[in-house]
Amino acid sequence: MNTRKKILLVDDDLDLLEQNKLLIESKGYEVITATSGKEGFEVFKKTKPDACVVDLIMEEHDSGFVLCYRIKNDEHGKKIPVFILTSATYDTGFKFGASTSEEREWIKADALIHKPVIIEEFVEKLEAFYELKK
Amino acid sequence: MNNYKPKVLIVDDEKGLRIGAQRLLEMEGYEVTTAENGTEGIKFGTENEFDIAVIDLKMPDIDGLEVLKKIRKKFPYTVCFIATAYASYETAVEATRLGAHSYIPKPFSPEELIANIKEGYQRRLVNLEADKWRREREERLLEVAFEKTRLNTIINSITDGVLVINKEGLAVLYNPAALRFLELSGIAVEEYILDKLRPEILELYNKLLNDTSNENKSYTIQIELKPNREFFIEVTASAVRHPGDNVAGVVIVFKDITELKKIEFVKSQFVSMVSHELKAPIAAVYGFLKLFNDDSITLTSEQKKEYEIRSMVRLDGLLKMVNDLLDISRMELKTVHREIKKVCLHEVISSILELFQLDINKKGIQVIFEKDASELCIKADNDEISRLFTNLISNAIKYNRDQGIINISLYQSDNYIITEIKDSGIGLKPEDKQRLFGEFFRAKNEKTKNISGTGLGLSIVKRIVDSYSGKIEVESEFGEGTTFKVFFPAMN
Repeated sequence: MNTRKKILLVDDDLDLLEQNKLLIESKGYEVITATSGKEGFEVFKKTKPDACVVDLIMEEHDSGFVLCYRIKNDEHGKKIPVFILTSATYDTGFKFGASTSEEREWIKADALIHKPVIIEEFVEKLEAFYELKK
Repeated sequence: MNNYKPKVLIVDDEKGLRIGAQRLLEMEGYEVTTAENGTEGIKFGTENEFDIAVIDLKMPDIDGLEVLKKIRKKFPYTVCFIATAYASYETAVEATRLGAHSYIPKPFSPEELIANIKEGYQRRLVNLEADKWRREREERLLEVAFEKTRLNTIINSITDGVLVINKEGLAVLYNPAALRFLELSGIAVEEYILDKLRPEILELYNKLLNDTSNENKSYTIQIELKPNREFFIEVTASAVRHPGDNVAGVVIVFKDITELKKIEFVKSQFVSMVSHELKAPIAAVYGFLKLFNDDSITLTSEQKKEYEIRSMVRLDGLLKMVNDLLDISRMELKTVHREIKKVCLHEVISSILELFQLDINKKGIQVIFEKDASELCIKADNDEISRLFTNLISNAIKYNRDQGIINISLYQSDNYIITEIKDSGIGLKPEDKQRLFGEFFRAKNEKTKNISGTGLGLSIVKRIVDSYSGKIEVESEFGEGTTFKVFFPAMN
């Protein structure tokens, strides 16, 4: 990796944001953070990151969804992987997943990352995306 | 003949015959009354019921057949004999038509009379017994008919739907409520119904009809007739059996369980919300611990210290949330132990303000507490009322701006004691007002990011207010501040 890839991490839980930042940084990426959907999009526009990781359920209802939608509607956003970060999986009763291409299209995300983040899995998914793009 | 003496009426204009017959029959154990002409015969014979009447056909005043007619009309079970010397085919037919039991041709021997009377009395007993049976039968039929209409009335009145289908698939019984569940506008009597049933219900019907196990089985299913929990029904089908025989048909009972399903939904929504809220702090602490143990990450001692403190804060919040949840559940289950006594609100509020003095000073908030001169007290549990105002005042502090103002006023209006708590904080967006008292609602924006809370405080406030027949109102302007008005019924 000659140039460090820039990852935008958006989460309203400041503790989790910091933890995931450290984890991703430890794998050699550069991490920039935002704590709301609104701020997330501003940072995205300004920094044009190589990937986005967005927490699904943030302060304002649906802001994770909305942010993904806005990023994927952006010319730059179409080119980069957008991952959704969520703990709201089957065990909490929020039935949610992105196993089919329609679902991925609908939620405007390229993959779903479950909390707590297993960093190796995350890196694998991320790098697989870049491999595919080559 | 035991103690009972059968009653005999002798109607004859011949005195000798009357006396002779009377003596004879009395000796045989009968109770005898005599009438010397037709008029007397009708009078005696219709005033009292005789077991047997012996009526002379030819009398000077009234014809014997007329006497027979009158007596039989009044007492149809009196066995009547016609005594005559002029027996003719015509009179015989006429007498029989009028209900005479038999002829005693004149002159008759004592033995003939006794034999006839004895046989007549046996007839009388048989007739009476037959009458009794007939009456009982009629009564039973009446009862059955009554039972049937009563059953119909009951079935038609119940709100659950009932439908009985026989082996041939005909609707043999149903009530109006069933139509709503079957989504039909009407069913004709004994109409073929199987093609109008939903497949799930038809399946139950077939399952029961084809069951050869001879056990009393029933099946229950739930069907969502209208989506989004608008109309949910429970269908129970049971076999109707002939005694010791095969299945005669199927009775289907429909029940509206929409409300139940709605409650179930709210409950599961609550559970998933709670799980999510509990999971967040656990995940945060878990994440820090993982960082501590991750060999590929080196943390400075300052970082370690900071993360320890942040973990503690999250665990502290988690603990508070669990306590709040337990409180809510206790309130829901009504297991809260309450000590109801006089609680004076100005005392409660003053002591809460003292408790929060440190936080108030830290933010530089000015508190103005206006109260009526008179004591304003309610009947309640002191702890609960403290809890209520603690939550409201702590919100007024937490969500206030630095150097803000809190205005508390306490007054009585009509039958209510009203407490107003007004802050100069972040205020509420109109759309957030309705969700304010729901569980886990927290006004979230840039300004509230660093305010901790469980999202349960106002939900608890609402529950406490409700349990004392009070009410709570909220007025707010976004960015300007919020006013909570708590109403409690005044003590009489």
